[in-house]
Amino acid sequence: MATDAKSPSTPNPEPSAGKLITDAPTPTITIDLPPPSDSKANPGTASATATLTATPTSAAAAATVTVRTHPEPLSSDSDIIHIPSYSRWFSWNSVHECEVRFVPEFFDGRYPSKNPRVYKYYRNAVIRRFRENPSKKITFTEVRKTIVGDVGSVRRIFDFLEAWGLINYTGSSKPQLKWEEKESKSATATLQGGDAAGGSGTNVTVSKSKPCSNCKGVCSFACFASDKRDVTLCARCYVRGNYRDSSEFKRVEISEEAKTDWTDKETLQLLEAIMHYGDDWKKVAEHVGGRSERECVTHFVNLPFGEQFDGPPESAELDSGLSSQNLSRPTKRTCISPLNDSSNPIMAQAYFLSTLVGVDVAEVAARAALAAASALGDGKLKECLKLSSGAPKQQETDIASNSDDPNSMEEALAEARLQLEKEDEELEEAISGIAVQTKEFEDYIIQFEEFDLQMERKRQQLQQLQNLLFVDQITLSFHKTPVPPKAGESVGDGVKSD
Amino acid sequence: MKSHSAWGTSKNLVKFRIPTSDNLVPIRLDIEIDGQRFRDAFTWNPSDPDSEVVVFAKRTVKDLKLPPAFVTQIAQSIQTQLTEFRSYEGQDMYTGERVVPIKLDLRVNHTIIKDHFLWELNNFESDPEEFARIFCKDMGIEDPEVGPAIAIAIREQLYEIAVQSVTSAKESRISKKGRRAGEFFSASKTGGNAVDLVKLFGNKSSVIRKRKEWDAYEPLVDLLSNEEVDALKAREERNIR
Repeated sequence: MATDAKSPSTPNPEPSAGKLITDAPTPTITIDLPPPSDSKANPGTASATATLTATPTSAAAAATVTVRTHPEPLSSDSDIIHIPSYSRWFSWNSVHECEVRFVPEFFDGRYPSKNPRVYKYYRNAVIRRFRENPSKKITFTEVRKTIVGDVGSVRRIFDFLEAWGLINYTGSSKPQLKWEEKESKSATATLQGGDAAGGSGTNVTVSKSKPCSNCKGVCSFACFASDKRDVTLCARCYVRGNYRDSSEFKRVEISEEAKTDWTDKETLQLLEAIMHYGDDWKKVAEHVGGRSERECVTHFVNLPFGEQFDGPPESAELDSGLSSQNLSRPTKRTCISPLNDSSNPIMAQAYFLSTLVGVDVAEVAARAALAAASALGDGKLKECLKLSSGAPKQQETDIASNSDDPNSMEEALAEARLQLEKEDEELEEAISGIAVQTKEFEDYIIQFEEFDLQMERKRQQLQQLQNLLFVDQITLSFHKTPVPPKAGESVGDGVKSD
Repeated sequence: MKSHSAWGTSKNLVKFRIPTSDNLVPIRLDIEIDGQRFRDAFTWNPSDPDSEVVVFAKRTVKDLKLPPAFVTQIAQSIQTQLTEFRSYEGQDMYTGERVVPIKLDLRVNHTIIKDHFLWELNNFESDPEEFARIFCKDMGIEDPEVGPAIAIAIREQLYEIAVQSVTSAKESRISKKGRRAGEFFSASKTGGNAVDLVKLFGNKSSVIRKRKEWDAYEPLVDLLSNEEVDALKAREERNIR
């Protein structure tokens, strides 16, 4: 191990590691490795172990490091600083890539004043300040008062360091508000960085439907129950209400998955919802009811998906609803196929039935249906029906041979035949009705044509009469030749106005 | 520009900004609610989105455990100062070879600082933060809050001067329309601050300060005891009221 080799037993130059103003970082940093004791690593070694993650020495170290998923209790020795294992990349003198990712403003060169050197200064100043008094949580305001720089950047760096447990990491076992942020931050870190081997540094589990008596919200994290006062508080209210000192409150954590398994109904709902909403897990969670998004996702991922492909290809071909009803209901049941398309009831039923009967039968039925559908186009209705009923009869015999209950088979047969005949009749009625209506329409059309003709004739007559009138008027005007021009004009006007 | 003014030979118009390497705004807060007083000063980056203001106000109130009524007040105060700064931003200001004296006279917790030095206004690479850091290191100041306070004081004064130069630029533009011959009047208004380098560093005099001026320009750092601090605080509050 690098630390053992390189740490000579040089006594710590400063008596109490906390008070320092100089730039040299104090050599009291340890990363929590299994033999904790008081191995005081020099800053050089700390950076060495931090940055050389691929070398065999640190691989050996990593092998011995148990990934800590919950924080260690803080030792009284103030020379040891504990940081979570997912932050072991930290070193005083260098900038790690996840820092570049999380606080990019210092590294993209947009502002000349924001450069890595300044970033390191801020970051080291904050961490140093915290480590002066590691048992006390440091607030942002305290820190920014002492740092020469603009408060926005300092705040962002502060948040980043806090999220990664490099400051304010007291390792107490009491739940705190910051856990939520840390969890979410480390969750994103696992997704992005791959360095957060520690995952969520908490052992908080979810309890279901425990309403807090204070804020009336659901306690999703650990709750605090007080028998004395008969009160249940969520973690937030507990912290806010300053109940920390009172010993009445017991911490209650309920593991969710162990207590309630997913019932079939819930699974069905989940899958329906996924079919509808796709990737919108919020809506899926709403649809399922009573499950958080995360649970839905984890359960969905864990579902066995072999059953998915039993039915759909066959049912897609069942375009004739008739044949679907010919499939009788056998008593034996196979597994429920999850991907019911509930939007189309006929299809859903066909689908359901097809899954019940098994693959081979469904295939035959589908073929028969196809044949029936294509023959329908030619107009051979009855024959088709007979065809399609012939096919299921075949299947029914198959089923009858397979099934355990022959009586119900015959009944079902008779029922099916009855239904067939009924449908025949209905069809005929419908068709005759249509024929009658078309005849009526034809009659109407003929009448209208006649009317049209008459109208034409009348119009022509009217035209002729008009012409005659015009001729008469002109002859009249010619006879009145000695008439002065005024009158002639007026007559002409009169003629025109007609 | 053919005028001859205390600003030297070059005079150019620049967009307004604080004449330091980073364009940060000094913000001073002095809020009193129900007898509780909150005073603070810090630098703000004006390119931060406005949502940061509220976040910062909330954080501060939470950290200092102030009553929540402070949040809106703090946010408002910061916003007004920011908008004031931004209102200057589009305008022009004059730069040139201007060396201005900066005075420091502040008390931070137990430390008193008095100083007086010259600062070049035209140098856009100047960095009050760096100055403050080095000052604290050189003077061996242990209180870490002093550094930022110094930086802010310097920034405020530079801000004032920059604002003045903006207004003078505006006025001189107006006056040009009236066809005045020179801009002496505007120079006199703000030029009082500027030190005439030509005079100082002419061929006869040297760069080294005269002995009698040493005291005026020497930094003074004093540590006070508790009673003195209280006395000073009381006096300050009396002055304010």
